[in-house]
Amino acid sequence: MTRWAMVADLRRCVGCQTCTASCKQANATPPDVQWRRVLDMEVGEYPAVKRAFVPVGCMHCDEPPCMHVCPSTATRKRPDGIVTIDYDLCIGCSYCAVACPYQARYKTDRASFAYGKPTAAEKQGFDPKRLAVATKCTFCADRIDAGMAKGLTPGIDPEATPACVNACISQTLSFGDIEDPHSNVSQLLAENQTFRMHEELGTGPGFYYIWDKKGEEAAA
Amino acid sequence: MNTTEQVAAKLASSGKRATYCYQCVAGPDLLTVKIVDGVATEVEPNFAACDVHPGGGKVCVKAYGLVQKTYNPNRVLTPMRRSNPNKGRNEDPGFVAISWDEALDTIAVKLRSIMEAGLLDASGYPKVAANFGGGGTPQSYMGTFPAFLAAWGPVDMGFGSGQGVKCTHSEHLYGEFWHRAFTVCPDTPMCNYVISCGANVEASGGVVGVWRHANARERGMKRVQVEPHLSVTGACSAEWVPIRPKTDPAFLYALIHVMLHEAARERLDIAFLKQHSNSPYLVGANGFFLRDATTRKPLLWDLTRNAAVSFDTPGCDPALEGSFGCDALEIGADAEVLAQGRLEGSPSFAKLVAHMQPYSPEWAAGICDVPAATMRRIANEFLDHAQVGTTIEIEGKTLPYRPVAVALGKTVNNGWGGFECVWARTLLATLVGGLEVPGGTLGTTVRLNRPLAERLESVTPGADGFMHYPMNPTDREHWSARPNIRNAYRSMVPLAANGPWSQALGPTHFSWMFLKETPKGLPTVTLPELWFVYRSNPAISFWDTKNVSATMARFPFVVAMAYTRDETNHMADILLPDATDLESLQLIRIGGSKYIEQFWEHEGYALRQPVVAAQGEARDFTDIATELARRTGLLEEYNASINHGSAGVPLKGADWDFSLDTKRAHGRDGIWDAVCKAASAELTGGKQAHGLDWWKEHGLATKPFPHADWYLYPTMVAQGLRFEMPYQERLYRIGKELGNRLHENDMQWWNEQLAEYQTLPVWKDFPGIWEKSLVKMGGTTKDFPFWLLTSRSMQYSWGNNVGIQLIKEVADNVSGHRGVILNAGIAAEMGVEDGDMVEIATPLHSVTARAVVRQGIRPDTLLLLGQFDHWATPFARDFGVPSMNSLVPMSLELTDATGSGADIVRVSLKRAGAKP
Amino acid sequence: MNYGPKPWQQSNWDFRAALNFIFGGAGAGLLTIAAFSGLGGNALRAEFLLGMALIGAGLVSVWFEIGRPLRALNVGFNPFTSWMTRESFAAGLVFALGLAAVWLASRPLAQAAALAALVFAYCQGRILQAAKGIPAWRVPALIWLVFTTALAEGAGLLVALAALFDAPARGVLGYFSLALIARALAWSMYRGGVTKSAVRPALAVLERAGKLLIQFGTIAPLALLLAGWFAPDIARIAVLLAGVAALATGWQFKFVLITRAAYNQGFALPHLPVRGTR
Repeated sequence: MTRWAMVADLRRCVGCQTCTASCKQANATPPDVQWRRVLDMEVGEYPAVKRAFVPVGCMHCDEPPCMHVCPSTATRKRPDGIVTIDYDLCIGCSYCAVACPYQARYKTDRASFAYGKPTAAEKQGFDPKRLAVATKCTFCADRIDAGMAKGLTPGIDPEATPACVNACISQTLSFGDIEDPHSNVSQLLAENQTFRMHEELGTGPGFYYIWDKKGEEAAA
Repeated sequence: MNTTEQVAAKLASSGKRATYCYQCVAGPDLLTVKIVDGVATEVEPNFAACDVHPGGGKVCVKAYGLVQKTYNPNRVLTPMRRSNPNKGRNEDPGFVAISWDEALDTIAVKLRSIMEAGLLDASGYPKVAANFGGGGTPQSYMGTFPAFLAAWGPVDMGFGSGQGVKCTHSEHLYGEFWHRAFTVCPDTPMCNYVISCGANVEASGGVVGVWRHANARERGMKRVQVEPHLSVTGACSAEWVPIRPKTDPAFLYALIHVMLHEAARERLDIAFLKQHSNSPYLVGANGFFLRDATTRKPLLWDLTRNAAVSFDTPGCDPALEGSFGCDALEIGADAEVLAQGRLEGSPSFAKLVAHMQPYSPEWAAGICDVPAATMRRIANEFLDHAQVGTTIEIEGKTLPYRPVAVALGKTVNNGWGGFECVWARTLLATLVGGLEVPGGTLGTTVRLNRPLAERLESVTPGADGFMHYPMNPTDREHWSARPNIRNAYRSMVPLAANGPWSQALGPTHFSWMFLKETPKGLPTVTLPELWFVYRSNPAISFWDTKNVSATMARFPFVVAMAYTRDETNHMADILLPDATDLESLQLIRIGGSKYIEQFWEHEGYALRQPVVAAQGEARDFTDIATELARRTGLLEEYNASINHGSAGVPLKGADWDFSLDTKRAHGRDGIWDAVCKAASAELTGGKQAHGLDWWKEHGLATKPFPHADWYLYPTMVAQGLRFEMPYQERLYRIGKELGNRLHENDMQWWNEQLAEYQTLPVWKDFPGIWEKSLVKMGGTTKDFPFWLLTSRSMQYSWGNNVGIQLIKEVADNVSGHRGVILNAGIAAEMGVEDGDMVEIATPLHSVTARAVVRQGIRPDTLLLLGQFDHWATPFARDFGVPSMNSLVPMSLELTDATGSGADIVRVSLKRAGAKP
Repeated sequence: MNYGPKPWQQSNWDFRAALNFIFGGAGAGLLTIAAFSGLGGNALRAEFLLGMALIGAGLVSVWFEIGRPLRALNVGFNPFTSWMTRESFAAGLVFALGLAAVWLASRPLAQAAALAALVFAYCQGRILQAAKGIPAWRVPALIWLVFTTALAEGAGLLVALAALFDAPARGVLGYFSLALIARALAWSMYRGGVTKSAVRPALAVLERAGKLLIQFGTIAPLALLLAGWFAPDIARIAVLLAGVAALATGWQFKFVLITRAAYNQGFALPHLPVRGTR
């Protein structure tokens, strides 16, 4: 089996938002819809304060609360772990949005564009099906599927890899199959200490955060 | 080029086109653009370049704005003429659309009338001025306009749009002087310990900077960020030291003190100091080197012979400490012999040790608000990591390995105190032998020395065993009493040199200031009769923006290449819509070593090609330049300049000649086809001559660039040269000479700046300089208790992209893009909540901003990111975010000897209302 | 828009969604007490029509909020895991049985409809509790608070209406009192749970709403009922006020719960990244 997962190395992230911008462009999301974004967090009080940049988005959970609550079955999970939304089924009730503990879901009721009227590029990417329904990060499933159909490896070959990972300038984001022990992401998880966001909620996110290398526990 | 052949095939089949983004100094980034039905839809990294590009071929966030930039409905898409003769912020320019013919003819008529009357005005200043922003990056977009300017003759390019006051100015000038380092950075891939005083590489280092530092962090490199606020770079560092603004010299001096007065001497790189610095040169009673009476070479004391010998005597073991008597000469300014005969002298190192004695961590603690123990620990960590004595092999060459470095940022390394910081940084590297060696502190590129593209080739032997440096002369015979341009860099700033970049590295605010009142001794500063503006918006990006705007409103004829309307072209007479990044054509040199952290192991060329048709009537800058040349009768000179290399490559080489026929006008593609062929030939030693079509398919071509050439040290050793550290005898001399020249002309207004020319710089109350300026403005430090600083925004810096919605949207995810950052404790004391409106004021001006309440900033500091406060630029004028540029004054007393100022000002803060 | 790392009030569900819980809960509660309070004939019909109208109004209100109202029937596609689907089924059952009961003036059908209404109210509690993204909602005790407030609101509405005409029966008042006490207990349980999960601003508004629920929604109505018990002269007005207070405080609590206390999860880092060295 395959389980696609994202790994974000928080030691590397600088909060540049290149992934955010590339996602917006690759997925033609309207203004203020950011399927991938990077948080700018502060922890502690002056002068003992730390600042961290944290990429977030849909975590493609093992137990997606959004899917369980969805009354229309628009939200589903593929066997490879990718949580999808069927824009033709979704009724736009936003129940999934309040069920998601990662604030990953968006609903745009009316078409909106960067400068009011759509530009030539926005016309190319505009999809009326996405209006008034829930949308979110797809792990660029279309790229993965098309790439795999060509025999490419997601996470390794850019053509089969999510746009945010391709764009990431600090090698913070990695993508791959965590069921394959030899994959890039499995190696990263084996070598480093990681956590998942709000793990206590039992959602089983498919998004891992590296915070240190392994073997440093004793020093912690 | 097999790989590139594959890439070309792949690109052709994918509907993608290769091009580059060079919107900021940390570029270029190599990218592809996806085209659907003739429309650009998506920017991606050029994955084919990942093996040659030092940032894995990735592309900075700014480049993702290029699609929106192309289709922005706010673009100016036809040439326009001003219909309202009155100029000013509150005057509607009344721009009306005109034809290209009318626009170009209007400009040509003006230019021809200038030519007929003479290119210089009565004061000797060029009648034509030109202004390009973005730290030189517009050159990668202006096609063959440099050829037009070269054909024209004298042009004043010294009106500041940010250079001088917004750049790392002291680093540029002193960096090039000491180690061919227009910019300076750690050898990040091999460095293990970095002290970073305000350097903001994670925001301004571009893809390569971010990439290299992320790798280094994961590897375990420790970076200590010394800065009043917790910047993006501070966030990504192992430790943050919140230092009081503008006190960095004291911090660095304390580190030097620990190394010289507390650490064992053998922990320093004694061999390096003896052989590769001026540490052993004997210094006489007047502060100048003791010299051999016959050869006039500096002397050092040879412990082997127990005698004074010339510095270049083979096989000597020079003393670093002590006092020695010898027969010598001491020569001061203007070749004056100050002393001769039996003279007493001490090695400059001994002078240094004595000089640094008072600067203990305990002394610095009170100034910097940093505990002495912290400074002592950092100094010792620096020594611990330096690995003095170790070597490493790079491409077969055995080189010293010193994995420690010091990086400096804007406001630290420019303006008053900048010299001291840059000197201290270079000295810290020198003391452990970590200057220009693997792992250590490196220069990246040269802009004042030549050739610009070959840093190592710019090293030639000069006097006294040091590198030659092209100082502006200060001797009586050659000193320039009549400046060639309005900012008077040749007269006032010897270190600015006199190359193509020097105009922009002088005191560029003088061009604005002196239009109000020319100081004594300089020819009356005049308005330029014609001013070209391209990718530059000094009405926003310079200081005292209100006055700058008012001054440019007095310019009689302004030609602006206009992307959208903005605050500077609001004063223009003609707007020309040039084709933008994805619409126009240019070939640029890439690779080698460039700004910030751009160290490549390849070099070559990359093409920027029109991936989509130009919108509206926008025209390629090359075609604009050719037409201007034709209509002003300069075609022959213009073509000749292109042939000579002003488009980036000389068209004639050893075995090839693609020169253009100088007699006729050539189209854009014809010109760049020839440039492409010449570049191919240069890259392959004449074996290949690929034309434009090949480059359009492939996007780039490179050849290997040796890693060992990142380091200056081997070149210095090969030429038997020493680094001019720690003792600044030459600077001291030229300072004296400059003072003599100025005083001979009764110019007393530069005296404070002359005091910066010191052999060993002393600490001055640098924050006090700004506090005095505050008092002069009518304020008191009690009423204006905050230091207002700025910091670069990766999303915006240099990009001229405030009108791009995508950039605004993603930038707003980074704290500080929506208002002024202030300390949470202070906010609580003042009853200010996050999002409330606050007023920030100097005694002269005030702005309002949303409060961004954060923990990561000193209680006495405020921070305004980037440069906003737009009032004409569509989209940006609705941001409601102010800029410190509206508050910072321009003044002589805030100008240092290099002609630069620093982005800092004392302000007051008060709550102005609830969250809007 | 700027979504920072700190939790913020969700904006996906606004007053329109709140009205579904406000009207739906009260309607379900009304059906329940009406069916089991011995009402018959037109009185039963009237209470049932009002109860169903309330539930219907809630559903119409939420229909105005959904993005694709023409696809509203898709709401029924996921009975396996979605409490919203189940709520819609329960609502359907309530209307089917309720309308039949009204048509036939049948008490058994009314009681069957009331059971469906209880399921509906329970579903509403489960809908909120299943929203893992909202710490103030996902507390298990909220199910019982939503359920008991539905009973209390329905009873309050019924006794208030009844008091307009006559003094309500003691059994009804007893049921009302028990519902009030059950709601207060549920609030207490919920409060204990929510303080562990919700953020400070959410707790602050909940605390205010809860205080109203206890002071004006529990103590005051019980006191009024007691006063009415001992002073029959004021019994009807006391009962009317008690019923209105129970209803109003329940509604304000749900309005606050949905539109003021629904701060989302935000983000938190259990470990800070190690940059370079420890």
